[in-house]
Amino acid sequence: MATRKIQHQVRLPWAVAFDVVKQGVRIRLGRSLVTLSGIVLGIAFLMSITAGELAQRSVAQEQQLRTEAKRMVNFLLAESGPLAGGTIGIIQRGPLQETESRFLQAILREKPQRLAWAESNPPPPAALATTVHRVPLDHVADDAVAVLVLGDNSGPAIDWGRLLASARQKVVGLTRGSAGASSAGVVFASLAWEIPAEELTAMAADQKLAQFRTRWMGAIALVVTIIGIANSMLMSVTERFREIGTMKCLGALSAFIRRLFIIESSLMGVVGGVVGTLFGAVAAIGLYGITYNFSLVLGSLQWGLLAGQALLCVVAGIALAIVAAIYPATLAARMVPAMALRTNI
Amino acid sequence: MTTSIDSSKFRALFQAPPTQPRRSIIRAVDVKKIYRLGTQEVHALRGATLDIYAGEYVSIMGPSGSGKTTLFNIIGGLGKPTAGKVYIDQVDVAQLDHNELAWLRCRKIGYIFQNYNLIQVMTTLENVMLSMNFAGLETDEAREKAIYILKLVGLGHRALHKPAELSGGQQQRCCIARALANSPAIILADEPTANLDLKTGEEMIELLARLKSQLGVTIISATHDLKMLKRSDRILWIEDGRIVKVAHPSEIDFASAEFH
Repeated sequence: MATRKIQHQVRLPWAVAFDVVKQGVRIRLGRSLVTLSGIVLGIAFLMSITAGELAQRSVAQEQQLRTEAKRMVNFLLAESGPLAGGTIGIIQRGPLQETESRFLQAILREKPQRLAWAESNPPPPAALATTVHRVPLDHVADDAVAVLVLGDNSGPAIDWGRLLASARQKVVGLTRGSAGASSAGVVFASLAWEIPAEELTAMAADQKLAQFRTRWMGAIALVVTIIGIANSMLMSVTERFREIGTMKCLGALSAFIRRLFIIESSLMGVVGGVVGTLFGAVAAIGLYGITYNFSLVLGSLQWGLLAGQALLCVVAGIALAIVAAIYPATLAARMVPAMALRTNI
Repeated sequence: MTTSIDSSKFRALFQAPPTQPRRSIIRAVDVKKIYRLGTQEVHALRGATLDIYAGEYVSIMGPSGSGKTTLFNIIGGLGKPTAGKVYIDQVDVAQLDHNELAWLRCRKIGYIFQNYNLIQVMTTLENVMLSMNFAGLETDEAREKAIYILKLVGLGHRALHKPAELSGGQQQRCCIARALANSPAIILADEPTANLDLKTGEEMIELLARLKSQLGVTIISATHDLKMLKRSDRILWIEDGRIVKVAHPSEIDFASAEFH
């Protein structure tokens, strides 16, 4: 052979493959929709269980906060008697925790006449601004039915005897820690409540179990989705054996054929992932909203985390679709062109 | 639709009619093909030697199981022989990798199928353009050339129809147009008239004969259609993996049972 006239077959741009796939999907819309619904269901299930878990966790947290605040108020009331119409002195020492803010809101619901907020403290939370009067620390307890100490109670010791001299009732409620020193005639009420260790471990175990269950169900949902997509992609390959063979006769490279199926599948993955994630999120929030109530669920939900989960689910949809298409696409790419000549397929 | 097409531009793309007579375009030397079915070896071809010349119209015949399809596939670049040499346009097929084989199938050979095998989701024009795309032809040029070829096979008015909207004869014309898309030297036709009625089949034979003389392409067909056989330059009769007879149609008594 003097000259080698044969050249390498050109590699077609992705755009051509994309065009072929687009036409294929449009024509075989029915079958594509079946594949798509498989992905939508799988991803919707995945999203609904993760979003459901998030909603449940958020609601549980919210409810725990509310019970905690209510319990703290009850502890205080037990010592101070009704707060309605009275003045409450507040000393904030150190940053507030979420429970303490909730506690303050719960205190407001007891309708005290006014809150005297020590001037030297950080400003009160914006939600309280209207009912709060800022007074010098020495006058915080003037005419007060109770004085509350919020925060970690750090800083120099307070001379309670002198401070409470002008108070109506000598009751001090501490949200955290203890008074440090006792003082004659002053009632110190520790509002904090330590959860027993065994209860904590039991709660942690419960949470772990719930988490495990979620992951297990999620994994099964993913596997089922992969199998579903692979199955329908295999169908799509066998359905198109002759078409693939014909394309190979016309000069298509195996890589081109493989690309066709990977593109088709990842397109389904994108659409199925987005639609499934939306369905799943709506379903989970809707279900929890009906079970508890919508304002509680929507108010307590951590939207940032939900968005993260949604993104992960869409990515999972695309990744699943691509993984599921690998075997069918390889099968199609390996097909010999002579298949196109067979008449009995 | 483009109205004016400079056909001479495209005519030049096809192989010129044979100037040096009897240039061998396909040469098979002692080709053997063995399939393995479990532990058994099936000898589909037991040493076939043949030459097909440029611009020739050759028909391959043989009973089923004779190795006809295997020979057809091998000389069409669809499979490699177990032993022996096959040259397509002077290139040894055995030495080509899959990429080069794809190039060969794309540029040198056009395939016509019994079932047309048109891509159902594409229009007639897109079907023809697809093989040009595989050859890397730019879209505008491909479109112009595809329209020219569709007119050449008498399908210019159906360019934007889907295969399902065409009659069998029109689908086969589209298939022929697609086979011609990259100006191949060889056209392989597998029972091209088997699914067509008598009259349409004759039209197809006429079309192929016209293309052969106009464009100088070599046509190789596997067929049992008497009308097609009578138009061939040579008939190869294959039996039990060997070419047992090569004859001009005039030398064959079609009335005899041998060819039925």
